[in-house]
Amino acid sequence: MKKKLMVALAVLLAASGLFAQGSKEQGQSQKASGPVEITFWSLFTGGDGEFFDAMVDEFNKSQNEVVMKNDTVKFDNYYTKLTTALAAKNAPDVVVCHQANLMSYAPNGAFVALDDYVSKDVLDDFPAAPLDACRYNGKLYSLPLDVHPIVMYYNTDILSQAGITKLPSTADEFLQASKQVKEKTGKWGMLVDNTTGTYKAYTLFRLFYSMIYQQHGTFLTDDNKAAAFNTEAGAKALDWLKEGVADGVNPNGLDYDAAMNMFKLGDGAFYFNGVWATGTLEKVDGLHFQAAPLPALMGPEPWAWGGSHTLAVPVQKHMDETKVKAAVTFIEWMTGHGEMWAKAGHIPVRSSVQKKEAFKALPYRPGYAGAAGYVKACPGIPAWEEIYGTCSDLLEAAVTKNQDTKTALANMEKTVNDILAKY
Amino acid sequence: MIPGNKDNRDGWLFSIPFLSVFGLFMVYPLAFGFCISFFKWNILGTPSFIGLKNYLDLFADPKFFSSLWHTLKFVLITTPVLLVLGFLMALLATSKSPLASAMETVFFMPYIFSMTVVSTLWAWLMQKDFGIFNHWLTQLGLPPVGWLTSDKVAIWSVCIATFWWTAGFNMVLFTAGIKQIPKEVYESASIDGAGGWTQVFHITIPLVYRTTILCLILQVIASFNVFGQVYVMTGGGPAGSTRVLVQYIYENGFKYFKMGYSAAMSYVLFAIILLVSLIQYLILDRKEA
Amino acid sequence: MAHSNSVYKREKLVLDMLKRLAELLLIVIWLFPLVWLVITSLKTEGEVVTKVFTFLPVHPTLYNYTKAFTSTYILNWLGNSLFVSLVTMVLTILVDAPVAYAFAKIHFKGSTALFWMVMAGMMVPFQVLIVPLYLQFNAYGLVDTLTGALLPRLAMPIGIFILKQFFEEIPDALEEAAFIDGACRFSIFRRVILPLGKAAITTVIILSFINAWNDFLWPLIIINDTIKYTITVGIANFQGTNGTEYALIMAGAAIASLPQIVFFLAFRRQIIEGIAMSGIKG
Repeated sequence: MKKKLMVALAVLLAASGLFAQGSKEQGQSQKASGPVEITFWSLFTGGDGEFFDAMVDEFNKSQNEVVMKNDTVKFDNYYTKLTTALAAKNAPDVVVCHQANLMSYAPNGAFVALDDYVSKDVLDDFPAAPLDACRYNGKLYSLPLDVHPIVMYYNTDILSQAGITKLPSTADEFLQASKQVKEKTGKWGMLVDNTTGTYKAYTLFRLFYSMIYQQHGTFLTDDNKAAAFNTEAGAKALDWLKEGVADGVNPNGLDYDAAMNMFKLGDGAFYFNGVWATGTLEKVDGLHFQAAPLPALMGPEPWAWGGSHTLAVPVQKHMDETKVKAAVTFIEWMTGHGEMWAKAGHIPVRSSVQKKEAFKALPYRPGYAGAAGYVKACPGIPAWEEIYGTCSDLLEAAVTKNQDTKTALANMEKTVNDILAKY
Repeated sequence: MIPGNKDNRDGWLFSIPFLSVFGLFMVYPLAFGFCISFFKWNILGTPSFIGLKNYLDLFADPKFFSSLWHTLKFVLITTPVLLVLGFLMALLATSKSPLASAMETVFFMPYIFSMTVVSTLWAWLMQKDFGIFNHWLTQLGLPPVGWLTSDKVAIWSVCIATFWWTAGFNMVLFTAGIKQIPKEVYESASIDGAGGWTQVFHITIPLVYRTTILCLILQVIASFNVFGQVYVMTGGGPAGSTRVLVQYIYENGFKYFKMGYSAAMSYVLFAIILLVSLIQYLILDRKEA
Repeated sequence: MAHSNSVYKREKLVLDMLKRLAELLLIVIWLFPLVWLVITSLKTEGEVVTKVFTFLPVHPTLYNYTKAFTSTYILNWLGNSLFVSLVTMVLTILVDAPVAYAFAKIHFKGSTALFWMVMAGMMVPFQVLIVPLYLQFNAYGLVDTLTGALLPRLAMPIGIFILKQFFEEIPDALEEAAFIDGACRFSIFRRVILPLGKAAITTVIILSFINAWNDFLWPLIIINDTIKYTITVGIANFQGTNGTEYALIMAGAAIASLPQIVFFLAFRRQIIEGIAMSGIKG
């Protein structure tokens, strides 16, 4: 027995050595000549990841001064890992950071201020708003790679079957159209996910947030110190979200994955998600759909929740000027080639990219690129992540259980204020 | 035991490898964590000392209590069921059936899979719209169940997956306990006319008492630390109705970066587990004596 | 008399048949989730998420497996997991066996307190250790190494427990005899205890292998380089933001679990019997 075990052990150990990478430590020292090697962490998995990796490859091929090595961590765990690494000043040379999360890091000096590194031409190429969202105390801490607002996808087959020729432009019209779909085709009018699954019911929050701004309200007070959504506008937004489920045109207990799968299968007419869904939806055979900016359902302008992937340079224990410069070269290149990233559905930020033929030739994307002008970025406060998650849970309860709007909003207001008081 | 031997020296000498590993990777970080719990620290900035505030805040935090309650619910559901299930499996595995050994293997098998694999697999089986469980229900003419999306069912679904995953471990412990019982005891019981179930209740159960205590203590500790299955299967949903304490600790630490608060909650959980284990030990130990 | 006896026999036979059937059903039920995992992994994504439900794949395909092998570092991940698990199991024994021996056979001052410390170690929520451990490992230069991934798991309380229970069963007389022959503690441990404790040691080895293989959160945090991931961490990345790809994930799960299953079936008896050791005298 023992001998058998020992032999098995020896064989396995030898075999593992063949594959195992860990035994060989990476050479840390940079060779005097040759390209600068820098490392990168991204949170793009699945389809997004493929497009992103292709971009990095292209970058590596396009020049011979900088070599970028990309490692991927799943979204769920990305920030856990990033934060621990930043705390140890051990993060890679470039990282992705959502604009909403930026303020957890920049005020603590975790990222390098980029003002002195990025060339003026490049800066001028960015519209002011998304760039300002990356500033803290007047300094620039990252460059936006994209904006990804929530948009509306609609199944053209179902709409024509239901006899809907004009897209709804108010909340009432929208519910009406959804009911019409349900009556004429028996399919779901709208697919708004409202239950935690792989992800929380973020879509509810994103829509609620958008609708408040469409009514010229704000989610938090201007100084970001208190909740400001417990108003007429907030009530109207929540009522609208509740009605879809209460009227039976939107499934109850629908989670993120299921909503996407049902839209893919042609089970519903209107579907709301971030622009990143485009890359997946267009691959589905037999699905005829269109994508449009979020309609101005509750006000004159189509304001919409939107996030943004930005690229930042972490502060290292031993800063290396050449690496920072190489990192900025990479960031400039990536933001300058947004048309490649747009394949995943995202909207490129830089004006020069939006003008590129390669971008204009892409299906769907140019149609909603205008939405970028009406993006309401999240308030840049460290408490945001908790507010975002907690409110999504509360909206989920309100919508799936058809809670009283006033009570639900008052409860949410109190919760948000409590959270804000603790940071 | 052996005269003229330096027991004290040898005892500690043999503990050295363990002590160094335990000290470095458990005691030290644990002490570090304990210090953190008195600070307000977002992991990147400078920690500021706030005394007991984190511990006081915790008592005013409804989410802390709801998470603790969900954990307790999980402990209260899984512990008795897993004990009974493990015991019943052990009865089957030690029966005279030609399938006994096959059952033993099959019941234990799920235990070797990783949490991630088990949870994603069960999330898929229980998926509301495309999962096979709901497919069967619809075929039987029953309405589909929101296994993971209904707040009344979700916690049970997670428990079911846990039963499948870990019951086999308890079975093995019970199997050993049962095999220890001398055959003569059963034989004489048979002669006295005791049937199968009477034997189980009057012989087997009393005689596996010690195994039961062991199972109970291990099970309670494991159940209090539940996190992975819940996190992967329901994400704490629907609407936070299955969020367990370890998940809340994790979120506070690594999503909201309230390291101090997160550490304080960990210590409260640690204290609770320690207390419960101690109480169990004291009660059960006395009962036996 | 003879007549009623045969009726009784026939009844018993029928009853036995029913029992076997019920048992078979239990086995099938318990195995079903695994069967479903394999079936799902052999379908195309379109066949998995569909309105037309089919039990068996209509067009069985290995596509998901090929994709896993060609578009990820899955071979490296398997190798890394193997490395981590094997080293863990060797080191675990080196760490756990001596202290278990001390607990079982040496009456030294402080042993009770020490033993309770071990048990308390089982109760610590791992989440609280992550940040301190990471900062520590960063200082030692162990971040992004497989060594760093396995170190915190070496002191395995349940392993110590199993070994202690087993060592206690070894008669003192054997030790005493060795002492009279002039053997020192260490050689008794090596020559008497370890060989006799083979069964328990095998169990602990296997349990530590399983635990190391399945470990997720810590390796995820400590390892940066995608190519250095362990398989459990690696397959977690199969889940993207664009809807869960069940077939692909199931294929990944199957690949990640296969070595476990082989290992388990090969050492089935040792595992089951060995764990049982710790239950003997609870």
